[in-house]
Formats: sequence, structure tokens, C-alpha cells
Amino acid sequence: MSVALAARLIDVLGGLLLFTMLLILAAGQVFRAIYAVAAQAVFLGIAGAVLAAATGNVDLWIIAFITIVAKAIVLPWLLIRVVRRVQISREIEPVIPVHLTLTLAAGIVVLAFHLNASLGPVRQTVTGNALPVGVTLILIGVLVMASRRKALVQMVGLFASENGIFFTAMAISQGMPLIIEIGVILDVVLGALVMGILVLRVRSSVDTDIADLESLKG
Amino acid sequence: MTRVAVWLGHLGIVAAAAAAARFAVGVLGGATPPVHVALPRLFPFAAQSLSVDGLSAFFLLVIALVTAAAALYGPSYLGARAKGPVVQTVALGVFVANMALVCCAGDLLTFLLAWEGMTLASYVLVVSDPASEENARAGLLYLVMAHAGTAALLVAFLFLADRAGGFDFPAIRAAARGLDPSTRTALFMLALAGFGAKAGVVPLHVWLPKAHPAAPSHVSALMSGVMLKVALYGIFRFGFDLLAPAGAPLPASWGWTVLLLGTASAVIGVLLALQQHDLKRLLAFHSVENVGIILIGGGLAMLLAGGRGPPALAALALAAALLHTLNHAAFKGLLFLGAGSVLARTGVRNMEELGGLARRMPWTAWLFLLGAVAISALPPLNGFVSEWMTFQGLLLGGVRLGGASGLLAGVAASMLALTGGLAAACFAKAFGVTFLGRSRTAHAEHAGESPAPMIAGMVLLAAACVALGLAPGWAMRLLDRPTAELLGGAGVSATVTASGPLVLSAGAAGAGATSISVTAAAALFGLLAALAWALRGWPRAAPRRLAPTWTCGMTPTARFDYTGTAFAKPLRLIFAALYRPRREIVKETGASPYDVRRLAYTGEVVDLAETLLYARVKQGVTAAAHEIRAYSTGRIHGYIAFVLVTLVVSLLLFA
Amino acid sequence: METTPAPVVRTIAQAALLVLAAPLVTGYVQKLKARLQCRAGASVWQPYRDLSKLLRKGTVQSDTATPFFRAIPVLVLAATATATAMLPVLWAPAGATVPLGDAILLVGLLALARFLLAVGALDAGGAFGGMGASREMTVGLLVEPALMLTVFSVAVSAGTTDVNLLAARRAPLLLSWTAPDLLALFGMLILALAETGRIPVDNPDTHLELTMLHEGMLLEHSGPGLACIALATHVKQLVTLTLVAALFLPVGLARDASPPAIALALAAFAAKVLALATFLGLVESSYAKLRFFRVPQFLGLGLVCAFLALALRVL
Repeated sequence: MSVALAARLIDVLGGLLLFTMLLILAAGQVFRAIYAVAAQAVFLGIAGAVLAAATGNVDLWIIAFITIVAKAIVLPWLLIRVVRRVQISREIEPVIPVHLTLTLAAGIVVLAFHLNASLGPVRQTVTGNALPVGVTLILIGVLVMASRRKALVQMVGLFASENGIFFTAMAISQGMPLIIEIGVILDVVLGALVMGILVLRVRSSVDTDIADLESLKG
Repeated sequence: MTRVAVWLGHLGIVAAAAAAARFAVGVLGGATPPVHVALPRLFPFAAQSLSVDGLSAFFLLVIALVTAAAALYGPSYLGARAKGPVVQTVALGVFVANMALVCCAGDLLTFLLAWEGMTLASYVLVVSDPASEENARAGLLYLVMAHAGTAALLVAFLFLADRAGGFDFPAIRAAARGLDPSTRTALFMLALAGFGAKAGVVPLHVWLPKAHPAAPSHVSALMSGVMLKVALYGIFRFGFDLLAPAGAPLPASWGWTVLLLGTASAVIGVLLALQQHDLKRLLAFHSVENVGIILIGGGLAMLLAGGRGPPALAALALAAALLHTLNHAAFKGLLFLGAGSVLARTGVRNMEELGGLARRMPWTAWLFLLGAVAISALPPLNGFVSEWMTFQGLLLGGVRLGGASGLLAGVAASMLALTGGLAAACFAKAFGVTFLGRSRTAHAEHAGESPAPMIAGMVLLAAACVALGLAPGWAMRLLDRPTAELLGGAGVSATVTASGPLVLSAGAAGAGATSISVTAAAALFGLLAALAWALRGWPRAAPRRLAPTWTCGMTPTARFDYTGTAFAKPLRLIFAALYRPRREIVKETGASPYDVRRLAYTGEVVDLAETLLYARVKQGVTAAAHEIRAYSTGRIHGYIAFVLVTLVVSLLLFA
Repeated sequence: METTPAPVVRTIAQAALLVLAAPLVTGYVQKLKARLQCRAGASVWQPYRDLSKLLRKGTVQSDTATPFFRAIPVLVLAATATATAMLPVLWAPAGATVPLGDAILLVGLLALARFLLAVGALDAGGAFGGMGASREMTVGLLVEPALMLTVFSVAVSAGTTDVNLLAARRAPLLLSWTAPDLLALFGMLILALAETGRIPVDNPDTHLELTMLHEGMLLEHSGPGLACIALATHVKQLVTLTLVAALFLPVGLARDASPPAIALALAAFAAKVLALATFLGLVESSYAKLRFFRVPQFLGLGLVCAFLALALRVL
């Protein structure tokens, strides 16, 4: 695969990643947010594969494969299971109105591109807009965590943010060492498991959600 | 006797306006050379003069157009209601003459004197029409805001005059060339604040929706349609001409400020207009919106002028702003005159108490509808043409500027589209609730059509709306001279009407340009409408009968009709963050809670500028006044001593 | 130098095609929905039958309405049909076009149709018309800024808002879609759902007063007048779909007037519209109608997509 074609595909995939990010932000139901983050992981995996084909880096093939399996299949399955088990309401409960989060997201994009201009030397020609897109994903992921009430949706934000870190790393350095990537993915899976168990336990023992944690303070 | 005097006065104004229009068109068309007349010396320290160039002539034309219509309309309107019609006629003449003088002034002193005359004359008109408590307050607010603006202008003027050693424009221009950038920008911002207060730029707009409706309707038309434009003339004159650096682009901060203020004014103006029930106040808020639209074009032209973009694009943007100035004068004048007719015939400004007027005042109604279509920027009328040019300027200019300015241009274009949509919703509401459906009160039921002179005034402006919409190429030629003078290069018609007078093009000349022909589209529209009209009777002439409107089987009454409040409710909820709506429902029940005797609903929205900004300023001023009161003894000697001390201190400081 | 038919002939042929084929698209969507609901459904030609039935019927007009009320359906249809003349359907002209209008005039004409319809709805009086007019204008004004941003983001790369020129200039670039194109397309698809008055924004099949948007304004129209408005609604839907196709899928447009080229262009056009209509039908079958006050949020997604597209393009 030629470098130019790879660059264009990464560009388009960056657009798709952004779009899925917006879908997560605008989702009104927990399930939709989970599907959107799964789709995002699929695009991320494809991006990895494209880079692997373009650079001939075998590690990237493995990472792409693991990304799709772990983040697009296992994690969403886990989250959906938890949602079904705890039988929480399916609506996403935003802390601030959704249109405000969307506006903030638009602001974040402008900020990310602005930062990108000042980070000029880091920017690589092969990967075009990948750096600002990655930074945008990271920041919007954090925004999702900050602006949603449900622990599960915050998990979705964390995954999205993590996807952004992954994308940035892949795009800039053509992939970190394999062992680190796998470690990170394992971390995320583990995090999801812990979170899921926590939510289940909290729910089953005291019948509450993390939003009620604030009532604990003195 | 009074009647005759009033009529003669108004007809005189019409004649003067016609002469001024003829003169202005002559200057704009190139038939008359620019005029420079020295005035007799009134003050020992300054020579005064009048000078008319392209920009002055264009604004003179705007003034003349609305003045002619308003003066034609005035006598019948005054006869219907006002007290002291002779005073009003004189004030009208002084007001109009001073507006014309501001635009024709050849030096800062004349400018300032005429500016002040314009403010005072309009103040007299604002408080004269039924002299009520509310109008007096509106007039006071107007006077305070206008003079705060004038104070800002005065600082800028005196600074410039001091540098130039004189007041006349050529000297000022020469002095401004030598200013350093930060002083230049500071002076421009002062002028922008001063003129902005008069033009009703957000957040300096709060006086406007109170003062404009208070005046008699034809004066409202002049205040909204023209006086604001005189302030815009000031912004253009200072920004592009007097303060412009020689041979360099205007500072980017000017363009950004004006563009952002314009966008904010456009959106906030129309959003607030949507929630008004007072027909004239609604129109006044739309003036804030349209000043914003003009400033979007003006700000873009500032960004592009002087070499930062191609001169043709800067000319396109400036021409869009100027054309919208003329267009807004035409349709806003028309709408205010229409609202005035309603007010004169029913005595009511609240549209919730009207309804069904279209059958009783058909001329007024259909002319108002025409104005509504024009102000909503719908094709094929004039509002669309100038907004199309603004869009094209934003697109092509945005491409050329790129980066953050490009994104800003895109956002401004999107907000302009939002403004157009909001205006359409607002006028569907205003027209529908006032003129359509059933009459809600006896005022509306017993209304009749206005007398012919009033309709003639409206027809004049309606004709301008149609002509400027269908044949915009003609207006482009009027804009050649101002754009060429302010921006250098060829005038705007060289590119915009390159493919013929009825085709508007934007962009690179030739095949690459975007071209539209509103004329052709309107012709096609007419043709298709005729075809569809024929088609609907085609299989057979279907029988037609009348029946009451369907109201789920109940007898329809006026209470079934949608009110303006209800119409605007979705937007009140969607933009609740901006409106902070408040509502109160009072329920009077009988023995059981289900037996409701009476329901009273009151609701209101706030203008955030008023509650957030002005309330605080007012608080601060009041607090300061209280502080000062502690030092005031009430004895006259103390005050005189204070004056003495102040004099001595200032002498020591500045001598 | 290619030989396309004279611009005027071309424009008229394309406009006539759009107007005549418009009810078929509605018929197709209805059929698709019916099949997805395991119903046989009416024939795809049903909208034509409905129109001819309405044209033969008598009119019942509200006694509160003004004489202007009768003209409204005709003007709405004329405004919508005029908009069709601005779209490339079969040909992508490289050279001269009729200087008739661009995307902005097209949007303006659709807005004019909507405005007139709203005025007509208020004319008859009664709460349904007012409610429909209020809601339709609200949705319309929320769509407009996003639509303008989308057009803007596409036009930035081509430097024009003339849809014909845009399609012609973008035709060779089809396989080089970039991220902004993609985001703009997603935004546009969201807006298309609103512009065509379909679920999740509006439900074209309902006459329940609480859920009506567009239909609420039509209650007082009947007979040939209603036929005109129904046809205008079909045409508006096809205009929206053609606009999406012209901005994002300008593929298969003919370069000359030879029969094979025209046949190919016709097939390509049919395929594109079919694909987009299938999208409408699928969304309509798989989503519930949004509560009215959730619509701004839904359209906000379209707005942000368009904004991102523009930001990616210019920053």
C-alpha cells in the first residue's frame, strides 16, 4: 500500500473516529453509546491495519487484531452485560445539557487544531490530521466522563479517550512496542472488569449509583 | 388651518427628499461630480464645510427614500391621533435635515453638530407621541445612551482634531496616517462604541426597542430605517476612510470585532424579536438584527480590505453591507408604516389583541406580507439579494483568509442562516397573528382600511423592495462609486454584474463564478405558479364550498387560534438559557379543584444584556451616588468651593 | 469540447424529471416500510393515484380564510418546483450553465415554500394549523444553519455554491473523499431526515394532533389545493435527496447528449436516489419519533458534524 493512500485512509478513518465520538456525546441511551464506542474501536483497528500494511510493521497487525477483539467485541459485550444485569434506566443522564457538551466538543476541536499548529515539528506528513484528531478524541473522552452521571457511560468515555491515545500513538510513532500496547489493552480490560464488578456490587448491596456518592461527604 | 400647515410641511419634506434622491443618484451615477461647499464660519476656531462623495451620496439616497415615504404617510397618521402635529412636523423636518447633514458633513464639527441635532430632534419625536410616563422613560434612556455614545465620539474627535490642527476631513485623514497602530485601534474602538450605541449594536441596544416604538410610526420607520444607518455611515466613514492606514490592510482586530459584534447582534436581535407581542417593538428588535447583518458584511470587508484579500472580494462584502443598508431601509420602513396603520386603525400595538385584519385592511396586510417576505431574506425580494452577497463574501473571503478567520466566516454564515430562519418564523408569527385568523377583540373587529396617502407611502417602499429584489444589477451600479472610493480598485459592479445586469456573480470573473439570477428564478416561479393554477382546475372545475375551520367538532371562536406567545413557545424552550423565561399561572377554582373559574397566564422573557450588564452598571452608579451624597452638605457655598478647587486643580494639571 | 444540450433544455428536462419522479420516491419508501413491517403495502404508484384522486375532488375551504389561502398551495408548489431547476440530475456541465440559482437560492426557495405554508396554516385559524406552523418553522430554522455550514464546508474546496459547478468539479474527486467530506455527509444525512419530514423528526403518516408537524399545516387544505401541497412535499423530498447526491456522490453524470450516456446517467441517478430513499425508509422503520424538544439535540449533532467538517477543512 502506498504511503499516500495510507495517509488518505488514515485521514478518512480519523473523520470516522470523530463522528463516532460525536455519536457517543449525542447518544441518548446507554446502549447507543456502547455501540458507538465499539464502532470506534473497529475503525481504530482498521487504522492500525492500514498503518501495518503501509509500514510493513508486523506488530501493528497484531495490535490491530487485539484492538478489534478486545475493544470492539469483548468490552462492549461486558458493558452490555452489566447494563442488563443491573437493570438501570437506559437513558443517559447528563450533568450538563447535551447541546452544551456538543458545543464544548466543537470548541475542543478548534483548540486541538490550534495546539497542533504550535506543535508543528511533531506533525508527521504521513499521518496528516491524525495528531489533532487523536488529541480531540482524548479530550472529548474526558469530557464525556466529566459530563455524564452514570458510571457505565463514564467507562465509555474512558474507552474513547483511550482510543484517542492509541490513535495518536499509532499515527505519530507508527506504533509503540508491542508489549506496551498489549499491556495497555489489558489494563483497559481489567479496568472495565473492576468497574463492572464495582457497579454490580454497589448496585446489589446498597442499590445506588455513583452519582449518589456525593451524599457521602460530610 | 393646522391641517393645511401639517400637509404643506410634509409635502415640502417629500419634495426635498425627491430632490436629494435625484442629486444622490446623480453623484452615484457619475453624472454629478463630488460636491464640496464651504459653509459660513460660525465658530472662530474652525471652518465648516459640506462634502458629498460616493458614500455620502449613497446614505443620502437611503435617507431620501424612507423620508419621502414617511412624509407622504405622516399627515394622515398624525391627523388620526397625535397632539401638537405642528411641533411634530417641525421636529420631523429638523430630524431629517440633520441626518442628511451628518452624511454630508465635510468636517468633524459639522458632523458633531448635526449628530447632536439629529439626536435631540428624534428625542422630541419620541416623547411627543402620546406623552405618557412610559414614553418619557424611553426617551430618557435614549438620551442617556445617545449621549454616552456621543461622549465616546467626542473624545475620538477631539483627539484627532488636536493632532490634525483642524476639523476638516482631509486634515484628519492626513493626521491619521501618522498615528501609531495602537492609538489608531483605540480611536477606532472609541468610534465604534460611540456609533454602535446609536446603531443599537448588542450590548448597546437596550434603548432601541423602547425608544423606537414610542415615536409616531412614520418616525419609527425613520429611526429604525434610517437613523441607525447614519450611525453605520459613521462606522464606515471612520473605519474605511478617516482612520484607515495608508496602503496597508486595516488591522485584523477591527474586522474581527465588527464581525463578531455583527453576528451577535444579528442572532440576539432576532431571538429577542421573536418573543415580543408588541408589533412595533418586535420590528425595533429586528433593526438590531439587521444592523448585525450589515456589520457582518462590513466586518468582512474590513478583514479583506487593503490587500489582505483580493479587492473584488472586499468590494463584494462592502457592497453587500451597503445594499443591505438600503434594503433594510426599504423593508423596515414598509413594515413600520404597516404597523403604524394597524395602530392608527385599532389603537392597539399588542398583536394578541388583533387578528383577522387581512379582510378589513387588505392593502396594509398584503404590503406588510411583502415586507415580511423581504425581511426574512426569502427570494425573490431584496432581503435575499443582499444576504446572498453576504454569504458569497463570507464563503469566498473565508476561503481566501483561511485558518481561524475562515472558520469564523463559516460560523458567521451559519449564524446568518439561523437569523434568516428565525426572522421567517418571527414574521410568520407577526403577520399570522395580527392579520389572519379571527379577530380577537373589538378593536380589531371594527378596523377599516387606512386612507390613501398612508397606503401610497407604503406602496412606494414596497416598490423599492420589489425593484431591488428583481433587478439588483441596477443597485450595483449605485454601489460602484462608494466601493471604489473606500477600497480602491474597480467598483463592485465590475465583478458582481459582469454577466449582465440581471445576473449576480461572485468569485473569479468568468466560468468559475457562482452566478444566480433572481430575475430568472422569479420568472420561472411565476410561470410555474400559473401552470399549477391551471393544473388545479384541470380535470374538471371542482365544486368549492365554505365551512368552518375544523376544531374537533366545537364551534370555532377566536380563542382557538394560535397566539403569538404560543407560536414562539418552542423557541422559548429551546433557547431558554438565553431567554430565562418566567411564567406564572393563577388559577381561580370553585368548590372543587377541578372546577376552574378563571386561569390567568403571565409570562415574560428577559434581555440578558439588561439583567446582567445594565442592572449592574445601574447598581454601581446608584451606590456611587450614595457615596457622594455623604459629602454633599446641601449648602451652596460648599458646592461653589468645590467648583473652585476643581478649576484650580485642572489648571495646575494641564497648564 | 463536449457537447451537452443547450443549458435551457438541460435545465427544463432535469426539472421536469425531478417533479414527475418525485411521487415515485415516496411510493418506494412507503413500500419499503410496508415490507419491513411484513405488510404487502400499496403499490409504488399509489402517490400518483392519490394525487389524481385529490385533483378530481371538490374543495372545502375555511370560512375564516382570506382569498390568499387559495393561492398558497399553488405558490408552495411553484417555489418547490423552481428549486428543482438548480440541481444537476443527469448532466454535470463543465462550461456554461443557466445562471438561475445556486445552493443558497435553492435553500431560500424551500424556505419561501415553508413560510407560505405556515402563513396559510395561520390563515384558516384553529389550533392545529398554528401548532403545525410553529413547529415546522422551528425545525426549519434549526436545520438552516447546519445546512449552510454543510454547503459551506463543501463549497470551500470548490470555491462556488452553484450546485451544478460543485458537482462537476467534485466528480473526478469522488474516490478521494477526505475526512471533512465524510463528516459533512453524515451531517447532511441527519439534516435530510429533518428536511424530508421523516422519523425521527416528523412522522409523515400521523394525524394525531400531538405529533403532527408538517401535517398539521395541511388540515384545512383539500381537493386540488391539497394535491398541489402533496406534490410539493414529494418534490421537496426528492430535491433534498438530489442535493445530497449532487454534493457528495456526483458520480455517473453525463458529459454529452448521446442516448447511452443519458441512459447511464439516468441509471446512476436512480441508483443514488434509491440508496438514499432506502436510508430514509430504514431509519424510519427502526427509530421512534423523537419528542419535539429532543429534535434540537438531534439536529445539533448535524450542526456539530458540519462544523467539524469545516474546521478540518480550513484549520
